[in-house]
Amino acid sequence: MKDVVNSKEMQRVVATREMQPYNRPTRAMYIGAPGKVGYLRLGFELDKDGKSIMRDLQRMAPLIVQQELYCDEGMPAMPVVYILSSGGPNVDGDRYEQEIVMRRGAIAHVTTGAATKIAEMNDNFSALCQQLTLEEDSYLEFMPEPTIPCRTARYVTRTDITCHASATLFYSEIFACGRKHRDEPEIFAYDILSVTCDARRPDGERLFREKFVIEPGKQSPEMLGIMGRYHMFANVIVLTPPDKAEEIYNATEVGFKDGGDIAIGITRLPNHAGLLLKVMGMETEPVKKIVREFASTVRMTVKGHPLLPDFPWR
Amino acid sequence: MITATMRLLEMSDSQFPVGNFSFSNGLETASYENIVHDAPTLAAYVRAATIQSIYSDGIASLHAYRAATRGDHDDIVRADNEVILCKMNDEARQMVLRMGKKLAELAVHIAPSPQTERMLADINSGATPGTYPVVQAVVMHAAGINEADMFTSQAFGVANMILGAALRCVRVSHYETQKILYDLAPVLEADYEAIRTLGYDDMRAFVPGIDLMASLHEKGQMRMFMN
Repeated sequence: MKDVVNSKEMQRVVATREMQPYNRPTRAMYIGAPGKVGYLRLGFELDKDGKSIMRDLQRMAPLIVQQELYCDEGMPAMPVVYILSSGGPNVDGDRYEQEIVMRRGAIAHVTTGAATKIAEMNDNFSALCQQLTLEEDSYLEFMPEPTIPCRTARYVTRTDITCHASATLFYSEIFACGRKHRDEPEIFAYDILSVTCDARRPDGERLFREKFVIEPGKQSPEMLGIMGRYHMFANVIVLTPPDKAEEIYNATEVGFKDGGDIAIGITRLPNHAGLLLKVMGMETEPVKKIVREFASTVRMTVKGHPLLPDFPWR
Repeated sequence: MITATMRLLEMSDSQFPVGNFSFSNGLETASYENIVHDAPTLAAYVRAATIQSIYSDGIASLHAYRAATRGDHDDIVRADNEVILCKMNDEARQMVLRMGKKLAELAVHIAPSPQTERMLADINSGATPGTYPVVQAVVMHAAGINEADMFTSQAFGVANMILGAALRCVRVSHYETQKILYDLAPVLEADYEAIRTLGYDDMRAFVPGIDLMASLHEKGQMRMFMN
């Protein structure tokens, strides 16, 4: 099993400059202790009958994946995988790594079983590094449930994407402002959220690098021009061939909805890589709904199938 | 000293013909949507835009300036590419490319130097994108303007572009826009100290509100300013 804590990918994430003020030894369980390091490797490919299956699965708790399910009625041939975390929220000093490989022509939908809570932290931070690889004509929907950074949480993520020009990746992240509806509401009470996504072609050609760092203690996200009055933020990256991207761009409505409680914007990524959708809202559910509708547009454009409404218990 | 200051003022002037006045950085939409409607909301919008610029274009520009000092053309090209890779907003990307090329063309006319000539040739051949902050670094270095003054000019340029547009589409007076600009000065001083040692990996932007305005402008019909 991979040595996550000492891997060069994780070392790079841990060395991120903005996290250094928080890079202290943990007083509770040490960094790298069992249960504080998770690893996941999922490999999807077509079997001899042309069915997309999860061929590779390596996992190290607290990250857990069971077998793939074919439960998406909008696209029943597509394997659906739920990533679960048996350890509850991410805590101080947690280190997680996830790799997903989509081999030629494979299709898959990967999500999480519940929201990812980033717990209160005192000494260190929680880090996640991901590598997503999409080979020719493959299709991946990566749509985790929202991330909720609690008071004094520190969370850094880095996602490296290698995407073939003919493949499509739908990659959504939703960030809540915190535990908004507690007795003492947590609205941007976390210490830091640092999110980087770097995309390339298989030959190494760079496509884009998006990074955002939110440090509410240094600069209020509630400033006009940043989040303004909104509390929830979704960032959706779609890598797809340019003709598909234009269709999706033209089919996507932008602007304000629900009396201004939802704001939606879309733009084209650098180097004809695809699209970037940003959604802001007051609550999680309406933001999730917009992201899901957008995913349906993408799926319909690329695969000719819609994404049906989510299960009522989600 | 006077020569460098004079050139700094010339290149920072809104009359300097690189097209600065044609863009509003999303303000036109923000005004239409009544998000920016008075001096305090305008001041916040200007501040958000300068933060965005400083932590992305600003960092790349400082690297390009230092590369120009070393005569390291490869690192100038790298800085130029980093600006494009990190600029998620299509409208903003078009803006820095148009202004960059305009500045390079102007610079070889008014202040020819081997580096500016090479920059323009590379832009025309497609060897480098030619973004405004990086071309600015090359041109200002050749003009004898120091690094901190170049940083100041860039931040001033972003603020002044929005404030100039505000006079045409927001209910604010010249007195109010000048006050916003005046009050921004000490804030920018602290910003320069915060970013001067940062690297390409530190380039970032988090202004979804401004991104949204740009998106509405990109897809909309309002055209007092360019996209």
